[in-house]
Amino acid sequence: MTIDLDGPGLWTTSVGSLPKPDYITKARSRFARGEIDRDELLQLERQATREWVEFQDSIGTDVIVDGEQYRGDMVAFFAEELPGLEIGGLVRSYGNRYYRKPIATSEVVRDKPITVEWWEYAQSLTEKPVKGMLTGPYTICDWSFNEHYDSRRDFVLDLAKVIRDEALDLERAGARFIQIDEPAASTRMDELDLVIEAMQVVTEPLTAHTITHICYGDFHNAYPKMLDIPVDQIDLEFANSDFSLLETFGDDAFTKYIGLGVVDVHTHALEQVDEIADGIRRSLKYLSPDKVFVDPDCGLKTRTVDEAKAKLINVKKAVDVVRAEL
Amino acid sequence: MTIETTVVGSYPKPPAEGTTFRLRKTLHALERGDATPDDLEDARNELVREVIAEQEAAGVDIVSDGQARWDDLVTPFARNMAGFEIGGLLRWFDNNVYYRRPICTGALEWRGPSSVEAFSYAHSVASRPVKAIIPGPVTFAHLSVDEHYKDHEKFVLALASVLAQEAFELEAAGATIIQFDEPALLGAPEDLDLARRALEVVVADLGSAETVVATYFGDAKRLGTELFRLPVNGFHLDLVAGPENLELIREFPSDRRLQAGILDARNTRLEDEGVLAGQTDRLTEAVGDNLRLAPSCGLEFLPREKARAKLELLGRISGRVGA
Repeated sequence: MTIDLDGPGLWTTSVGSLPKPDYITKARSRFARGEIDRDELLQLERQATREWVEFQDSIGTDVIVDGEQYRGDMVAFFAEELPGLEIGGLVRSYGNRYYRKPIATSEVVRDKPITVEWWEYAQSLTEKPVKGMLTGPYTICDWSFNEHYDSRRDFVLDLAKVIRDEALDLERAGARFIQIDEPAASTRMDELDLVIEAMQVVTEPLTAHTITHICYGDFHNAYPKMLDIPVDQIDLEFANSDFSLLETFGDDAFTKYIGLGVVDVHTHALEQVDEIADGIRRSLKYLSPDKVFVDPDCGLKTRTVDEAKAKLINVKKAVDVVRAEL
Repeated sequence: MTIETTVVGSYPKPPAEGTTFRLRKTLHALERGDATPDDLEDARNELVREVIAEQEAAGVDIVSDGQARWDDLVTPFARNMAGFEIGGLLRWFDNNVYYRRPICTGALEWRGPSSVEAFSYAHSVASRPVKAIIPGPVTFAHLSVDEHYKDHEKFVLALASVLAQEAFELEAAGATIIQFDEPALLGAPEDLDLARRALEVVVADLGSAETVVATYFGDAKRLGTELFRLPVNGFHLDLVAGPENLELIREFPSDRRLQAGILDARNTRLEDEGVLAGQTDRLTEAVGDNLRLAPSCGLEFLPREKARAKLELLGRISGRVGA
């Protein structure tokens, strides 16, 4: 569908997660210890969501995210709501970071909407479009243990139906941008066909602008086949590899809308406006501005609130600089 | 009859549910300035004692320190040698686990042991032999960026000479089994001859220590039986992610030891004991007394209780525990 946004392109957005302010982190641990009830936590999560939506609005972000203040991690959040998936024990992802890895113990089904109320709340706070944010079926499978399904394909395709139904409900609620994140998609080249097959199930009935975010993988082997993933836009990290992915586009043109990650989310260091603008200019040798959304490399949840805001402000300033040159 | 058992290396750091996660707390406290490096050392030592005790209780014959002090296989070594900087996060093979990629910016030089102190501590608290585990030179190179040598072969051989000193010091500290992890070799069959030459460098000064090359996360089909010509005493093969390794085992040399990864260390589903026993019988037919049983790879991909349950199952299969 047409994306129906003002301006010549280079629209700004975020990948998904934004840092939780201290009061949310504290409230979540108090909730876990049973010291506050769900309603009290919910009020604080709504407050933090409102603050993030207002911040993005105030700096002129084109496509807004709700910042996922109510999510722990992107797979566990869905697993908690889906019959068939149980929350498992802690496993380490890197350094001193751990997550609870879900376990498929029976057929995975969806018995109610999961993200729609949050999307409606965030959208009620702004005139700008708010993205619907979903985790893709392949990634949920890849980041879970499987004690039920005979094959990964069976597991992924059941999840695809679940995520499709959630996306349809978001669309009915009014979402014009729906992102189905597949950070695991570039993990195994021999399963890229499965990623594509599952995404087809999810996006086939949708009319919204569909996006997927992919990260940390064997990009050079996954491209250009990655372009077969049936979405309108692919969001990729560029900053953490000093924009080296661009060279690949010289051989095989990037044919979709792109989400261009221009600041590194794993460093405290703040990229300067000039530096970011330079990255965007380099990208425009390979990409047309009316096909480009500019954002950080990945979700910003690992940064502090101040670091994330500073990065988003500099991204917007750099975009304004380059837009003026178009 | 009983079959010897071992682990591949890593072990979950989080404790069983409902217990204080001291290591994580201490690392957070250290970041805030509320703990000292000595507190961290105490927390790590406690974890090492725990994971060794758990392995021993489950009946594991050759244990490891669970790599409890490490974030990943390569950075503890890269941080300690001259010539490396530590780069950004990258996916650890096909897992939802990440490591920091070492970047080689200068000539590599050994600046003293990286893993010997950790080995010695584990050795002092274990009542069974502790396996020393270090990255193999080819895998180390594949997981790093070489901005200095700009020549893969030179880079691998430079790594090999540093790792040779590490291996030598480990043996001097009492290691009787040294494992070189080479998972990246499975995807780089063109490096097999280079691996042979590099490992010759690594093991050159070793005495009687048993040496093992460990491959995991896939099958060695593309390497074929040439793999078994590497200059080491034994091989770990992952029979879960690489069921086709069973074909190779039919031609396993009679003078090498097979460390067979038969339990899935990356999924919580507990294997059927009868099926595993049957598989073990077939492995025994193929390699006789040269069989050693293990999980498919490091156990850190599992929650603590699940890892422990897998090891207990391994113990039962080996016939040593509960027979």
